[in-house]
Amino acid sequence: MNLRSLRSVLLAGALVAAAPFASASAATPPNLLVVAQSIEDAVSFDPAEGFELTTVQALNNLYQRLVQPKRDEPTVIEPALASAWSVGADGRSLRFTLAKGAKFASGNPVRPQDVVWSLSRATKLNKSPAFILNELGWTAETVDSHLKISGDNEVTLSWSADVGPAFVLALLTAPIASVVDEKTVAEKAKGDDFGNGWLKTHSAGSGPFAIRAFTPNEALVLDANATAPGGAPKLGGIIIRNVPDPASRRLLIEQGDADIARSLGADQVVALKGKAGVIVDEVPSARLDYLLINSGAKNNPTLANPAFWQAARWLVDYEGIAKNLLKGQYEVHQSFLPNGFAGALNTTPFHLDVEKAKKILADANIKTPVTVELAVFNEPFFTQIAQSLQATFGQAGIKLDIRPGITSEIYAKGRSRNYETTLRYWIPDYFDPHSNASAFAVNRDNNAASGPVAWQANWTIPALTAKTEAAVREQDPAKRAKLYEEIQLEVQLNSPFVFILQGRDPVALRDNVKGYVQGLNADQVFYDRVTK
Amino acid sequence: MALAGGPDRPAGAAPLLADGLRWLRSLAAFVASTGFTLFGLLLVTFFLARLSPVDPVLKVVGDRASQSTYEQVRAEMGLSGSVGEQFVNYAGRVLRGDLGTSWSTGQPVAADLARAFPATIELATTALLIGASLGVLLGLVSVLKPGGLVDNIVRLVSLIGYSVPVFWLGLLMLLLFYATLHWAVGPGRLDVVFQYSIEPRTGFALLDTWQSGLPGAFANAVAHLALPAFVLSFHCLAGICRLTRAALLGELSKEYVVMARAQGARRGRIVFSGALPNVRATIVTVVALSYAGLLEGAVLTETVFAWPGIGRYLTNALFAADLPAILGGTLAIGTCFVLINALTDALVAFLDARTRS
Repeated sequence: MNLRSLRSVLLAGALVAAAPFASASAATPPNLLVVAQSIEDAVSFDPAEGFELTTVQALNNLYQRLVQPKRDEPTVIEPALASAWSVGADGRSLRFTLAKGAKFASGNPVRPQDVVWSLSRATKLNKSPAFILNELGWTAETVDSHLKISGDNEVTLSWSADVGPAFVLALLTAPIASVVDEKTVAEKAKGDDFGNGWLKTHSAGSGPFAIRAFTPNEALVLDANATAPGGAPKLGGIIIRNVPDPASRRLLIEQGDADIARSLGADQVVALKGKAGVIVDEVPSARLDYLLINSGAKNNPTLANPAFWQAARWLVDYEGIAKNLLKGQYEVHQSFLPNGFAGALNTTPFHLDVEKAKKILADANIKTPVTVELAVFNEPFFTQIAQSLQATFGQAGIKLDIRPGITSEIYAKGRSRNYETTLRYWIPDYFDPHSNASAFAVNRDNNAASGPVAWQANWTIPALTAKTEAAVREQDPAKRAKLYEEIQLEVQLNSPFVFILQGRDPVALRDNVKGYVQGLNADQVFYDRVTK
Repeated sequence: MALAGGPDRPAGAAPLLADGLRWLRSLAAFVASTGFTLFGLLLVTFFLARLSPVDPVLKVVGDRASQSTYEQVRAEMGLSGSVGEQFVNYAGRVLRGDLGTSWSTGQPVAADLARAFPATIELATTALLIGASLGVLLGLVSVLKPGGLVDNIVRLVSLIGYSVPVFWLGLLMLLLFYATLHWAVGPGRLDVVFQYSIEPRTGFALLDTWQSGLPGAFANAVAHLALPAFVLSFHCLAGICRLTRAALLGELSKEYVVMARAQGARRGRIVFSGALPNVRATIVTVVALSYAGLLEGAVLTETVFAWPGIGRYLTNALFAADLPAILGGTLAIGTCFVLINALTDALVAFLDARTRS
């Protein structure tokens, strides 16, 4: 390199360095909502398959179901694509009348055939959320016999499971029950995939938006559906940008380069509160965090002793975790139904009391010190809570051996019942108490190959299972709520689950963004009435 | 070589034929060694990934899927047979040019790579241009007076470049230049107004915006590239600077330099005209190694700057035990390494006659 080339290099460097300083703008287009969040979990926007947070949050904006939870009172179910419904004489069927004039974003009318095809394909595809429809007794072999076109504008659904129509209606509000435009999707089908390959990145619904483009790990771009039966959205479109780092999301919303930023950490929330132009809304969420104890752990018979479960309840620093560790982003919650669900038990009888826990252990002749493995997701949120538990359990002579692992590894341990204790979280799959009750208070066969959380805990509960199954058949809402309260109380006081927290989902919005609605459940994200 | 360069070199078409054969042999050896390297890479990566405790099926279906869904998806993912069978099936598909479908994005791996790789190449190349230019320059400046003020300042800069975590530096740069001074644009490859109105023909934002002809689009792409490229360049700058300095100091201690100084030559002239040409092969090797490192090691910069590149893609794939994506990405990066090495060897041979064989 001679001096002349050296000068060239210097000049080029200076040009590159100067370029960015010319254009730093901070405003989003007026007719477009820009959302900053991580979308790296998104695999499929097919309602029969999508079960990740990003996809579930989008599905309500892309599709409609026959019925939907009322936005401001989600325990009440209201019409969506069905204008009316009636229960069959045997209590095992529902006859829906479709709303007149409803059209998909493609312009095709919504027909009874679309309803039947959508529910049939969702069951037959048997993807991750299919277990929700399986609750009705529908399987790939039987589903078609339960779906009937009963008039020009009517469809009748029946079920073989021993459940009541109120539960079925709640279940039909889940994203998997979305009605898909058969004419559009069937053309795109390859082999027997029912158009699943195409619908992974496209949409064919009647929701307020339609997918314009989805680029994995980059962005989801939605266009307004001007003919949406529920009313055209106020804005022309939405860009959901992938910004994997929460600190970067914070900077984007602060600078006005994003209108909404979600999935912010406790540090970002604290930093954003009080910033000019930004409003932080901590939306209550249905997420529950709990300690799961394997009462059948082969190498640790102590865990089968209900006294250990009792002691564990007094060894959690609930307030310290919620207020100090998580900076108020979560609240203490000690039952399996989140606050906001019908019948939720909101009592919090337990607090950190090491002496009480020690006495319970001593009275039950549980020798200490005892070592117990605690499997946790290898993420700061869980490892922080695990360390808090380690400190408080340690005071009573229970040494928690923290074993971090990645998500699927921890799931695998649960499914194979190859763990001692584990820190887990639960988000309901549909807006009905049974979604959680069927996980924590039902274990039909403890010798089955797999099962719900109660099965993973090796908790044999024939009487409680029967009571929970009776609750799902109960038609009187007040009686049903009472039953769930009783079931929760039983689980709260004597079970291998220690419920600790209910989440809040912090969402930061620019102060000119109005009309954004987010509900308790993960899928209840609504963009259609947003203005800015 | 002896035949071609020997004293009894045959006349006419024979030397051309001999040269041609020599080149063919070299090419065949290169292709064979590349194939062997990539096969080995594939084999090791496959078995390491399959032997990890992660259950990729659960990552796809989640914790609540029924057993029948689990079994169905497991079969769809090609995980039903033995690990050996899975590898043979996969290698067969790769030979037919099919890298499979990513389990974590649901898209063909080839399409994912075609999207993620240009983003990283664009970032890494710009970072290398900045890092190598400044690194070599600072290395040169520091040897003009070793131990002097400039040398010590350069040492400090290099030390910071080596030791400051790139993640932290990226956030700090964003906070300072984007959020506080408003000199720079925010994370991402383009402003939203451009990002979804410009067709990604090549995947390189600079090229696509240039071709689009939209006013301000190219400048916007440059503006978005500058800050992450600078952050990424800082680390490679440190390495290139220190190695350039060390190579030059080694060269400057040689006898011909002592002789030149004894004859009254100025140090600057000795450095630029004497020592620098002699160490250029070393510098090229260091720069090439830095480039290879940038291609696969930019994950933290990509995370902070929301840059959808190969580093972030592969990291996500690793956490999801997404075997097709891991293997496809490893193959792509492995191929880049092999090509960069080959090009470096050729360039070094061109620059330094002593290395020609």
